[in-house]
Amino acid sequence: MTQDDILTGVLIDEATLTLEELARACAVEPGWVMERVAAGFVLGPAGRSISLAGSWRFTSVEIVRTRRLAAVERDFDANPELAALVADLIEEVDRLKRTIRNAGLSLA
Amino acid sequence: MEFKDYYQVLGVAKTATADEIKKAFRKLARKYHPDVSKEADAEKQMKEINEANEVLSDPEKRAAYDQLGSRYRAGQEFQPPPDWDQGFEFSGADNGDASDFFASLFGRGGRAGQGERAGRHGHDGTYQRRGEDHHAKIVIDVADAFHGSAQTIALRAARLNESGHVVTDERALKVQIPKGVKEGQHIRLAGQGTPGMGGAPAGDLYLEIHFRPDSRYLVDGRDVYQTVRVTPWEGALGASIETPTPSGPVQVKVPAGSQTGRKLRLKERGIPGQPPGDLYIVLEVVLPPADSDKARKLYEAMAEEMAFNPREQAGAAT
Repeated sequence: MTQDDILTGVLIDEATLTLEELARACAVEPGWVMERVAAGFVLGPAGRSISLAGSWRFTSVEIVRTRRLAAVERDFDANPELAALVADLIEEVDRLKRTIRNAGLSLA
Repeated sequence: MEFKDYYQVLGVAKTATADEIKKAFRKLARKYHPDVSKEADAEKQMKEINEANEVLSDPEKRAAYDQLGSRYRAGQEFQPPPDWDQGFEFSGADNGDASDFFASLFGRGGRAGQGERAGRHGHDGTYQRRGEDHHAKIVIDVADAFHGSAQTIALRAARLNESGHVVTDERALKVQIPKGVKEGQHIRLAGQGTPGMGGAPAGDLYLEIHFRPDSRYLVDGRDVYQTVRVTPWEGALGASIETPTPSGPVQVKVPAGSQTGRKLRLKERGIPGQPPGDLYIVLEVVLPPADSDKARKLYEAMAEEMAFNPREQAGAAT
């Protein structure tokens, strides 16, 4: 490959990730992800819970969520429930910030 | 390459206990967690803290580092002496984002994990292990999501040289950003992560898309909001105006009686995709300055001849 070659990647969401691919992308074991899906800490696309392990497919949202859960558990020795609560709060703050920004207001 | 004092990074004494190191790490991890920190360089700080913790929380790595560190100060020019780690049994590191200093000592992504992440022996007995996946952020302009673009990103990757030492290569990748990407979406570049071991495939590189802040646009998914300034007479009487948009100039019909804040929806003119987003033109009525005799007279004429009190409409007139 020369430096001028332009790489074309796969856009996640148009293509989805399998359980193994998500686990690898987040540097965790598939079993680790399965436990958090079973507990409802990682949801499927559009916030739906996913039930059949064989048909599990994940998107960009789950990459961010799963990496966040893994980081909080690792950095703070947090249990999965606490890490999920932290991730929920971070996502809620992000949502509120977007709402504030879209309303034309600024965060002091 | 400069020597890093990991004790200084965590703010602990060289005699700190494992418990003190853990506490110091958690305190700083809370302060610099990129999701919540307001510090400008939170992400960089978090990497340093993680790296320091990875070394100091592992008894073997800490012992090897201590032996080396007794001869160096923070910031001092550093090259790892040959066989510096002789007699210590740590198994490489699991840190794809490591600094050059860390990589020169412990490598990147060399640890054999468990299950899927562990390596295996091939038919010929060679140890094989798939490379780690990497993550990076890429910042693009909103307009790039409308048209697609080729972006160049700089990455650093470690490899073993002929003498078995870890060296860092800088490389630039030119990546095609497809039309229709959304903020937060990932692009997976197969085989651009850490190289595999023993002939196993390389890991993948995930690029997370972020939009460069642009005061002209607000983006919500694939919907784009753009403020367009109009004159009082265009707002009051209605007008057909031309305005630039990320997909090129468009003609917009401003309905009569439009006030600041009125949104005009241009269906499917937002970021392309399935389904495409909408473009919202948000009107902002701008008063011309009363900076000449003529302008002042026009305002005075309006004041005399138009029975208009906006505070009355708001119910706050006195």
